Amino acid sequence: MIFYVIRRLLAAIPTLLAVLTLVFVIVRIVPGDPAVAILGDRATPDAVAAMQHRLGLDKPVWAQYLDFMGHSLRGDFGTSMVTGRPILQDVGAVLPHTMDLTIASMLVGTLLGVPAGVVAALHRNRWIDVTARMLSLVGLSFPVFVSGVFMLLAFALHWRLFPVIGNANLDDPIDRLDKLVLPALTLGITMAAYITRVTRSSMLQVLGEDYMRTARAKGVPWRRVVWRHGLRNAGLPVVTVVGLYVGILIGNSVLTEIVFNRPGLGKIIVGALNQRDYTMLQGLMTIYCFLIVVVNLVTDLTYGLIDPRVKQA
Amino acid sequence: MKFLGGLPAAVMLAGTLLATTAAIAAPKTTLVVGMAAQDVGKLDPQMAVSTIDRTAVAWMFNGLVRFAPGSVNPATIGPDLAEKWEFSPDKKVWTFHLRHGVKWHGDYGEMTADDVVFSLNKAADPKRSAFAGDFAAFDKVEALDPYTVRITLKHPVPSLLGIVTNYSGGYIISKKAYEALGDKFNSHPIGSGPFEFVSVTPNQSLELKANEAYFRGSPKIKTISYRFLPSNASRDLAFQSGELDLEFGIADQTWVDRTKKLPHAIVDVFEPAEEAILNLNETQKPLDDIRVRQAIAYAVNRPELIAWQGKDVSREPKSVIPGGNLGYVDAGLLPHDIAKAKKLLAEAGYPNGLTIKVIHTQLPGMLAQMQVVQAQLKKAGINLDLQIVEHATFHQMIRKDLSPIVFYSAARFPVADVYLTQFYDSASTVGTPTAITNFSHCKVADAEIHAARTEPDDAKQIALWQTAQKKIVADVCAVPLVETLQAWVRTDKLDYGYDLKGSLSLGPLITETTQFK
Repeated sequence: MIFYVIRRLLAAIPTLLAVLTLVFVIVRIVPGDPAVAILGDRATPDAVAAMQHRLGLDKPVWAQYLDFMGHSLRGDFGTSMVTGRPILQDVGAVLPHTMDLTIASMLVGTLLGVPAGVVAALHRNRWIDVTARMLSLVGLSFPVFVSGVFMLLAFALHWRLFPVIGNANLDDPIDRLDKLVLPALTLGITMAAYITRVTRSSMLQVLGEDYMRTARAKGVPWRRVVWRHGLRNAGLPVVTVVGLYVGILIGNSVLTEIVFNRPGLGKIIVGALNQRDYTMLQGLMTIYCFLIVVVNLVTDLTYGLIDPRVKQA
Repeated sequence: MKFLGGLPAAVMLAGTLLATTAAIAAPKTTLVVGMAAQDVGKLDPQMAVSTIDRTAVAWMFNGLVRFAPGSVNPATIGPDLAEKWEFSPDKKVWTFHLRHGVKWHGDYGEMTADDVVFSLNKAADPKRSAFAGDFAAFDKVEALDPYTVRITLKHPVPSLLGIVTNYSGGYIISKKAYEALGDKFNSHPIGSGPFEFVSVTPNQSLELKANEAYFRGSPKIKTISYRFLPSNASRDLAFQSGELDLEFGIADQTWVDRTKKLPHAIVDVFEPAEEAILNLNETQKPLDDIRVRQAIAYAVNRPELIAWQGKDVSREPKSVIPGGNLGYVDAGLLPHDIAKAKKLLAEAGYPNGLTIKVIHTQLPGMLAQMQVVQAQLKKAGINLDLQIVEHATFHQMIRKDLSPIVFYSAARFPVADVYLTQFYDSASTVGTPTAITNFSHCKVADAEIHAARTEPDDAKQIALWQTAQKKIVADVCAVPLVETLQAWVRTDKLDYGYDLKGSLSLGPLITETTQFK
């Protein structure tokens, strides 16, 4: 197991290096000049040139690249070109919010999606299956900025159960939870819709297997057959999808954060993009990629837990 | 015993009731403001260029002089940090006498002439100011004594007071704080205004508190929470649910009508108007032919644009500078006339119409306005092939002359010289070393614009500005479209303490007199 983990970690290094290089290139390919974005529409060319010098944009691209790689590898992402604040400080301030949302939505999505998928598979083509499939279609079809506004209209304005502005005080667990419910449900329901479909089809496949019939023939209770023998075998594709989906959740949080007025990585990245804040974008994209690499690693390790064959390989 | 046992409970109940009543009776002192923003950018007032930043710095800083709160009329300019001032007969030497005992926020001591000299020199330095261009005529700024400042100009300017007012480069900052904080000043500003900086939570809010030592008296509002809420829909919902007291609105009739119907909501629509203009590049084909430019001017239908955008928030422009500017005149814009437009196009050699590629921003408000114009021009056979790009890209591309027609919407300091200089003086032509925002390569009114700048006689100066506008209209450097006012909404419990007719910071001023009723 230890070797397996180490091997996976080493494999992540070239990925991160490639990502850093890509990030550097992509950020600079996008047209738009940060100096102009910072100084506004009344700045003279002199002022723009002075700002470019201050931001280090007048250096040759290769020098900027070496600076960037050197600093990134030391974990120093520098300061924002626009606000002058250290990037890690800004990211650190919102990271707990993003993690809260990601984990809570993942829980909602998995806890709703897996049972729904199993039940739908067991009642294949009966009303319960049709209803589950219909609901998951509805869940998949609604973009977050529509379902989120509906959620706010119903639960924040009509029933006044939750606040509209979701910037929680991290030191207050009740407040943190209070402001997490609506966005986590919004994101989680979409994810549940997806997970339901995957679980259902994977489960259907497993249900037809010989070992399932054998287990039943041996007299193992049906409930146990389904949850122990069925779901455990149907679980691998579900774990893969959950793992992939966490990446999507981190990305999708952009819209959710904006609709629910939550702080988070997504909101920062949109702001940085509008302002052409190169250093901030570089830092954020690197952190995003790092998170995704970690999630993939965790997913791989989970395979090992579910399926002993993976560990031995 | 029972009776006695009940007594403390009764007393407590009565006490609680009293306390509750007192809590209800005492007005709120925390103001929560919702702004359409991801984050604040620069809080150094001389670097603050976005509406988001400008709105907030106006609460923290003073100028030497100021507009009366709620007004953008230069005639209302009165004392702020300077109590009085005088100028030489040729208007080249100005002496300002400072107020005594003005304290900087925090522990930065008293405001003196040194701070003023430092601030104005910084404002004129393109490395440390986004408004250096406004100070081009400054020769030197000197402290005669701790409470007297003398500004010497290279040549007279149309409105020196306009440059040193509480707007853009005119804000006075603490020299000691700037030198101590360096680059951090941008995220930790030190001013002398009614509210002082407490903290910024990135992407969430800017927190301010009352400056109890404010020279006009302690503010009635004690804390301001300036929240960054980029989604229009959820910002409106937050206002409806009572989580916001004041909110940045949308200059659109549907929003105004809907918001006015909310209980306890007051919609404020105020100056300055941003004038949207099509700048036509006279040096590029086919716009180098004045008949094509005239055809565009005839094809534009301003009343229709105003009906579309809404009567409460829009005004019909009558000149190439915004209405209400000192020196503004009805410059005789060409009326809407499709037949004439078609005839002119035919004369210019385009009997079957023509297509022009135009680079435009994807910002929803500006895009919608441009799409209406696109539909109007199409009726005359002029097809605008819109190349939609992201907003920062748009700004970069139009400065490289890549779009023959540039849609630009802006408000400036309300003296004709500023708008005329930035948009129609050939020295401001994009692509030149002194470029500002002359996208049309207009040069017909250079003589008048330059002469007016140094004309000592007020009436003659205004006459020159008016001639300049008429010449620009006659040459069709630009086609005015619509003027859009600022729209905000507040709870009816919030009393600004003045009548809000306008605000150059583009957001309502919160002063020492602002309070909850």
